[in-house]
Amino acid sequence: MTLAIILVVAAALALIFIVRATLSRSLQVSAGTNLATRIQPIDVEAFRNLVDPAEDDYLRRRLSTSEFRVVRRERLRAMAAYVQTAGSNAAVLVRMGQAALTAGDAPTAEAARRLVDNALLLRRNAAFALLRIYIALAWPNSGLAAAPVLQGYEQLNSSAMLLGRLQNPAVPVRISATW
Amino acid sequence: MLQAHSFLWNYLWVAPNLLLLFLAVLLWRRGTTRQFPAFFAFAILSSVGQLAVYAADILPSVAATTYWRVDWGDLVLEGVLKFALIGEIFALLFASFASLAQLGKTLIRGAGIILVFTAALAAAFSPRNEFVGIISGANLLEQTTYLIECGILVSIFFFSAYFHLSWPRQVLGIALGLSVSACVHLATWALIDNGGLLRSTRLILVFVNMATYHFCVLLWFYYLLVPRKAATKSAVPLPENNLDVWNRELERLVHQ
Repeated sequence: MTLAIILVVAAALALIFIVRATLSRSLQVSAGTNLATRIQPIDVEAFRNLVDPAEDDYLRRRLSTSEFRVVRRERLRAMAAYVQTAGSNAAVLVRMGQAALTAGDAPTAEAARRLVDNALLLRRNAAFALLRIYIALAWPNSGLAAAPVLQGYEQLNSSAMLLGRLQNPAVPVRISATW
Repeated sequence: MLQAHSFLWNYLWVAPNLLLLFLAVLLWRRGTTRQFPAFFAFAILSSVGQLAVYAADILPSVAATTYWRVDWGDLVLEGVLKFALIGEIFALLFASFASLAQLGKTLIRGAGIILVFTAALAAAFSPRNEFVGIISGANLLEQTTYLIECGILVSIFFFSAYFHLSWPRQVLGIALGLSVSACVHLATWALIDNGGLLRSTRLILVFVNMATYHFCVLLWFYYLLVPRKAATKSAVPLPENNLDVWNRELERLVHQ
């Protein structure tokens, strides 16, 4: 009977998750008009500073081990906040890009496809980077490579701007604060 | 009413399969079978298989052992078709996104391995009826198939939700119907196999299964045949003379 209860609970949770995912997708489709306002611009230069290994080396040389751990953890937390925002922005851009894929003209559709691909890549990299950041929070002395996220984000910014300009030349889509 | 071989029992067994066959014919006439070949094969073969099992059940000349052999054959065929259909859903959803295709395959393979292991464990801990092994074996096969099917479908929904992918309407309909059917059947077969329930209670669960499948077939009708709302087009007329300028700007921004 225990096995039956476990399987019934698992099946019920799975059904609830799938139905919720389907309903939220339907709601997203109907409320997807003002997506650009949900993008939070990110200061790419500040982020670049945070992920720069030379900065970490400098701090390691200048500070005692215990001080370095404290500072490093603070920097990692800030880095995680940046990556989470970049990931959220990527999710919004996936939706914007997918909505634009249905556009009749080929250049907009092509720009949208490029944007979706870049945004998906960034969201994937953001997930991996967050994992590495949380591991590094436990071992602050370990190395960390968040550069792919930065690179992906810069590329995504260009794609988003292109799509924004193609769809509405008067209102550009900006996902970085320093362009 | 809720008795084996009552009118409702016969209706719920036969009607969804006839409807699914009809849906397959409609899809074939509309020329959409090329888009969903696995669903088309599933619709035809699983319906024919279920109708064969039904015939074996009602024909007095068919022995009980023969009935269970037919049921086994149908279960194996349905299992293969469902996993082919899940593969088709996965391909239709992820194949167009180059950046996700490989990661998606890896994650689904990983989920599949874990699920097969979990299903084997669940089967190992399920009680066996030594006297009618062919029946408990069929029930276990149902439980195992639905456990893996349900898990893989949840993984696909989770993956697409994380990446905010929008499902093509028809693919969503197929996946939703398959998922609802898999989740409800997993729960009912788990109770039938492991719950130690009375015969009358088990019969009610079988009715729940059949009604759910009927609902799923209607869901497939809705998603595959009712046309979607007109897609929104870009409201702003695009200034064609600006396209080259912005393409050049993109190149400059990417390479700076």
